[in-house]
Amino acid sequence: MANQLGKRYQCSMCEATVLITKAGDGELSCHGQPMAIAQAKPLPSSD
Amino acid sequence: MNIAMLLEMAADGLGDRVAFGSRDGGLTYARVRELATGVGAHVARSGAHTVALVHETTTLTPVALFGAAWGGASYAPLNYRLPEAARLELLHRLRPAEVADDAWLEFAPEAGHAFPDEPAHPAVLLFTSGSTAEPKAAVLSHDQLLAYQLNTVEFASAEDDEAALVAVPPFHIAGVTAILSSTYAGRRIVPLPRFTAEEWLATARAESVTHAFVVPTMLARIVAAMEDDPDLRVPTLRHLAYGGARMPAPVLARALRLFPDAGFVNAYGLTETSSTVSVLGPDDHRAALDGDPANQRRLSSVGRPVPGIEVRVVDEQGAEVPADASGEVHVRGAQVSGDYVGEGSHRDGDGWLRTGDRGRIDTDGYLYIEGRGDDTIIRGGENISPAEIEDALLHHPAVASAAVVGLPDEEWGERVAAMVSLRANASATPDELRTFVHDLIGSLKTPETLEVVDELPHTATGKILRRQVKADLAGL
Repeated sequence: MANQLGKRYQCSMCEATVLITKAGDGELSCHGQPMAIAQAKPLPSSD
Repeated sequence: MNIAMLLEMAADGLGDRVAFGSRDGGLTYARVRELATGVGAHVARSGAHTVALVHETTTLTPVALFGAAWGGASYAPLNYRLPEAARLELLHRLRPAEVADDAWLEFAPEAGHAFPDEPAHPAVLLFTSGSTAEPKAAVLSHDQLLAYQLNTVEFASAEDDEAALVAVPPFHIAGVTAILSSTYAGRRIVPLPRFTAEEWLATARAESVTHAFVVPTMLARIVAAMEDDPDLRVPTLRHLAYGGARMPAPVLARALRLFPDAGFVNAYGLTETSSTVSVLGPDDHRAALDGDPANQRRLSSVGRPVPGIEVRVVDEQGAEVPADASGEVHVRGAQVSGDYVGEGSHRDGDGWLRTGDRGRIDTDGYLYIEGRGDDTIIRGGENISPAEIEDALLHHPAVASAAVVGLPDEEWGERVAAMVSLRANASATPDELRTFVHDLIGSLKTPETLEVVDELPHTATGKILRRQVKADLAGL
């Protein structure tokens, strides 16, 4: 499964987070498990 | 890491979207990247350490900002309203520098030129007026600016129709982060080079603007213009952020009525903190309209810290005070710099930066800013150092002593006022002194009120009694 540009991927076991800055093939894994897309916490734009 | 990465991602993911200018004919993210690579290669070849921008907000602004990053140089937007001598002095301090030029908008792309990976390198230099006479250059590194972006903005989160009206000048921190945030979110920027309320409203309507940031003085004028002419509406506006100085409560109340469908955001931050560290969001603003006094009081707060930021209030001994007690506001987080050219960091060993602002935090964690702890004057969102103006006055051969203070002003928040005593047998009129200051350091820092007296109020040891000066000038 390809990695989506600009998404954060998180490990469910530890606090590791990966931000995708270049889309590409391959799968991110941590602690032997695939990392899942973290839900964005919307913050109102202040600029 | 490099702030150029924000543009790289936007160009990769949203290349055809208009980044800057009108929906028809504006620059796309792909085009801004092409120009940034060309400018970056040019800057790298020139050996310049700094890219200076002496210009209001135009298409050149994002090209200079990202071009500097692409070329491994620091971006230094200067106040284009400064008198030439003062501007040249700042440029001299930035050497070796390249000054951004409209010819850069014709540069050929150099796709092979990659931006350097230098996270700790100064990405942006902003001259600030602190409590010292000489303007200091605040340093924001790539990783500090990126920390704010990555903690608070979601990539490509803007809808295709969103457009942000940028009315703050490039040399203001909000003028820097507006470009970075909008680029990363994928929100089109509509520049407003010179603010007037009428132009702001006309441009917002013509460009179907959805987002805007204003300083309180701008909002006061916009509100007045809309009340004068009920036909002046911006129905597309759904998000209005404000900051840079304390917002007068009556102005905010009128604005909330005039923009009933817009979400209001109060943003508090400093140049030294890569912009916003605390926000009061749309829900808090709406809740205040329900008439509950506790919710209404919250409108005078700057909300709660953004992700990645810690805020605390401390007393004069440096100890944290309990909830609701006043003290100095300190902040800590990856976006907090406090570095100045030639001075190093003003953060303490644990990473806390003293903001110089007095404030308190209530039991729900809302931060209230009560004013500056020092003598800094905040006029229309611009921080002005009394010391710099006093120094300018003292350059006049007739001036013996000078004290500059801020007086409350309904339109500007504060206005610059000066009290001056003259040397024996010397003479100078207030107008002559104001012109002298104007020519030396510019209109923004020219006292609007100037009183010549025989002697300034002072203590026995000769220390000027600023509070007395302020009271005397306010009573004029």
